[in-house]
Amino acid sequence: MPHFSNSVKLKYVKLGYQYLVNHILTLTLIPVMAGVLIEVLRLGPAEIVNLWNSLHFDLVQILCSCFFIIFVATVYFMSKPRSIYLVDYACYKPPVTCRVPFATFMEHSRLNLSNNPKSVEFQMRILERSGLGEETCLPPAIHYIPPTPTMEAARGEAEIVIFSAMDSLFKKTGLKPKDIDILIVNCSLFSPTPSLSAMVINKYKLRSNIKSFNLSGMGCSAGLISIDLARDLLQVHPNSNAVVVSTEIITPNYYQGKERAMLLPNCLFRMGGAAILLSNRRSERRRAKYRLVHVVRTHKGADDKAYRCVFEEEDKEGNVGISLSKDLMAIAGEALKSNITTIGPLVLPASEQLLFLLTLIGRKIFNPKWKPYIPDFKQAFEHFCIHAGGRAVIDELQKNLQLSAEHVEASRMTLHRFGNTSSSSLWYEMSYIEAKGRMKKGDRVWQIAFGSGFKCNSAVWKCNRTIKTPKDGPWADCIHRYPVHIPEVVKL
Amino acid sequence: MVPPQQDHDLVYNLRLSSVGPGCVTGSDVVHDLSGLDLTMKLHYLKAVYFFSSHAVEGLTIMNMKEAMFYLLNDYYITCGRIKRSESSGRPYIKCNDCGIRFVEGVCDETVDEWLETDDDSKRNLLVYHRAIGPELSFSPLVYLQVTQFKCGGISLGLSWAHILGDAFSVSNFINNWGQHMAMVNVNSSPALAPRSLTNTAKPEAPSEPLSAKQVNHVGDLWVLANNCKMETFSFNLTTQHLSNLQAKIGSVSAFDSICALLWRAIAKVREGFEPQIVTVCRKDPCHDDNNVLGNNQIIRTIKASFLVGESDLNKLATLIANDQGQVCDERNRIEAAVEKDNGSTDYIVYGSNLTFVNLENAGLYELELNGEKPKLAYYSIQGVGDEGAVLILPLPHGSAAENEGEPRYLVNLTLPEGQVFKLKAELKRAPLL
Repeated sequence: MPHFSNSVKLKYVKLGYQYLVNHILTLTLIPVMAGVLIEVLRLGPAEIVNLWNSLHFDLVQILCSCFFIIFVATVYFMSKPRSIYLVDYACYKPPVTCRVPFATFMEHSRLNLSNNPKSVEFQMRILERSGLGEETCLPPAIHYIPPTPTMEAARGEAEIVIFSAMDSLFKKTGLKPKDIDILIVNCSLFSPTPSLSAMVINKYKLRSNIKSFNLSGMGCSAGLISIDLARDLLQVHPNSNAVVVSTEIITPNYYQGKERAMLLPNCLFRMGGAAILLSNRRSERRRAKYRLVHVVRTHKGADDKAYRCVFEEEDKEGNVGISLSKDLMAIAGEALKSNITTIGPLVLPASEQLLFLLTLIGRKIFNPKWKPYIPDFKQAFEHFCIHAGGRAVIDELQKNLQLSAEHVEASRMTLHRFGNTSSSSLWYEMSYIEAKGRMKKGDRVWQIAFGSGFKCNSAVWKCNRTIKTPKDGPWADCIHRYPVHIPEVVKL
Repeated sequence: MVPPQQDHDLVYNLRLSSVGPGCVTGSDVVHDLSGLDLTMKLHYLKAVYFFSSHAVEGLTIMNMKEAMFYLLNDYYITCGRIKRSESSGRPYIKCNDCGIRFVEGVCDETVDEWLETDDDSKRNLLVYHRAIGPELSFSPLVYLQVTQFKCGGISLGLSWAHILGDAFSVSNFINNWGQHMAMVNVNSSPALAPRSLTNTAKPEAPSEPLSAKQVNHVGDLWVLANNCKMETFSFNLTTQHLSNLQAKIGSVSAFDSICALLWRAIAKVREGFEPQIVTVCRKDPCHDDNNVLGNNQIIRTIKASFLVGESDLNKLATLIANDQGQVCDERNRIEAAVEKDNGSTDYIVYGSNLTFVNLENAGLYELELNGEKPKLAYYSIQGVGDEGAVLILPLPHGSAAENEGEPRYLVNLTLPEGQVFKLKAELKRAPLL
């Protein structure tokens, strides 16, 4: 009983402290205003009129003051960065013909790797603990025994995924193809010539003076890099629309060898893609879903271990695959810490920052053994979208940021329903939160993505209007089944 | 003339993939196998359908796969894999959505060219068949091969494990797929009627079934070991043949008279070792629903108390015809025999006695692609016991004035190699071939 009452007392102390520090300005302003009011009342109206007449105003002084005020106001408004709005986005929903149940994946694995039972065993262990469900999808070429990853099949997959997402985006936003001013496509592992962005321009007959970019090789965090690029471009070009397409094309990258470190991506990566419409037009202010607040990018590539931890290379037999090192989680943790250190001051309320500062000073000066204070990010954000890179990533972040199960629900359920769709997974997670009807006006969302390099990128969005549960979208037919309980180990 | 250099087989470019249900069946869904199902475990059905290029105009392999995904939402049992119960070792099907194996192939002949020189061994190229085992949980129960011919026509080759269901179920399965092809956008389809488990009422006296015979344990490789090499051949029966037969044999159905004729001919060939008992399988009229999957066919035995080889055709035909509806339906007996030791003994049905299977009302020509029926639908059994099996299949015939030479039935026989030549000679004397 005393333990409970102590924790309750502590909770109220904490709340009181937070309220005090976060509203310090208001709290100091009120007594000052009260003081002034009392003084004015005390002086009486006659005294005030005398005070007013004693001030000598002459024309020059008045004009200069006016100019000065107008000048400062103009400088302020000119240098304010443009608001970037996310009007809407669309996620690709693969058809049922691409579905890969566990049993099928394992049976194909046994047939493809018939000479390597140990590798098959390994894949089964991974799949059992992966957190994926029975509805994730692989492209048609990978369904063959053995897979037939031709360039034509890869282009076919790219066309299906990207064009579907874009058609969906056009329908949702009413956007006309000729109104797209900036196009950014990111796909890490498939980079044909002409580029995927050229493919989009060709399909939709976009304008000849479009500013198009194609980002490849930048890993799962490339989605946020594209958003960052779009933001910078929208600062320079007024009154513009930018479309960002994030996807990963599985067909050419399915590892056909037997090295275990390289078989892991086969078990986790699945088909997916998203198309996002960003705009800096004031007319979009009303109907936009979100406003971009911050983008923070952290690159740990200077460290050799971080650089090599997700590495594409050939195995002994000449098969190309992506090798994941064993220190992946540790490096991800380091990258996250770096990112948090930058984003913390931008988003955390004053109370948390003060505590963090005090603990930091305390550790430096008094006692290095003090536990570092982990700021409570739950006070800065209502929703979290953690890239669904794998169960381990989500578990690690949940632990590090001390998040509850509901906060990471969007990430876990996206991993279950769609698998690791690389850079587009953040958008499936946003879509999940919207489909659950949890997105209200003023809510702040934190998207965190990790990628090869090693990078940790975050984006902060603020919800612009309460979002009604959408009738279409990737979760429309299955949201009622979620959240599901995902067992630690699935019996295959 | 030197034939052109063949740098590949007749049917080549085989590509394998899997097709499963579009919807998740759920975890821990199992389908128990009844005693009757288990007696059929060493038998496989092979069906081949030929379609002209007109029938498949505008249809791609992807369309066919897509229709299959929707069909398998209902037939999810065919997508499962065999597992053995941990306590008793009795096989059951775990419905884990693993899928059927879909095979794509190419052939350089046209459909017509193929049908001219069609025979059993050639037809095996159109049906990708693998027996179940030795790894039960990784053996597909159904294989579907789509072969594309030079003229644009196709063949559908289905290999089906008999534990799932009889030939009538196979026909229903493929006909339902044809319906899905016609309306690929429809998501919902008639729900599969729950499988009616055969009533395991104890028979009056616990007698051994006559139509099912025990065989040596096959373990986990479900292949029947014959004592002699079996050969399959087939021939057509024309309108002329039927009217000749009708003249000899009185008022019995075509099937009964054909059975009588063949029974006598085979008895003559096997002089001294005549088949006194035959098994007859036909559709159960109570299970007329198009959506039932299972081993529901009627299995009867017919015992002749006289010498068959020298008997009168009329007498034989009457014996076969009059046995309908009597107590000789063996299904309960088979079920009881298998359940006695909980399915640990292996049985066969086809070929334990000389077996006749009537596929007349199996709806073989109800499958339509683009509104067109198949040019030919051919069924055979893989894994027939030493006594042999005969399948009687209908052939599509024009509704116009029937001409005498028009084929009406296709008779498919699987017999020991040594007996085939003699039987062909015997049938020529009839004259039937």
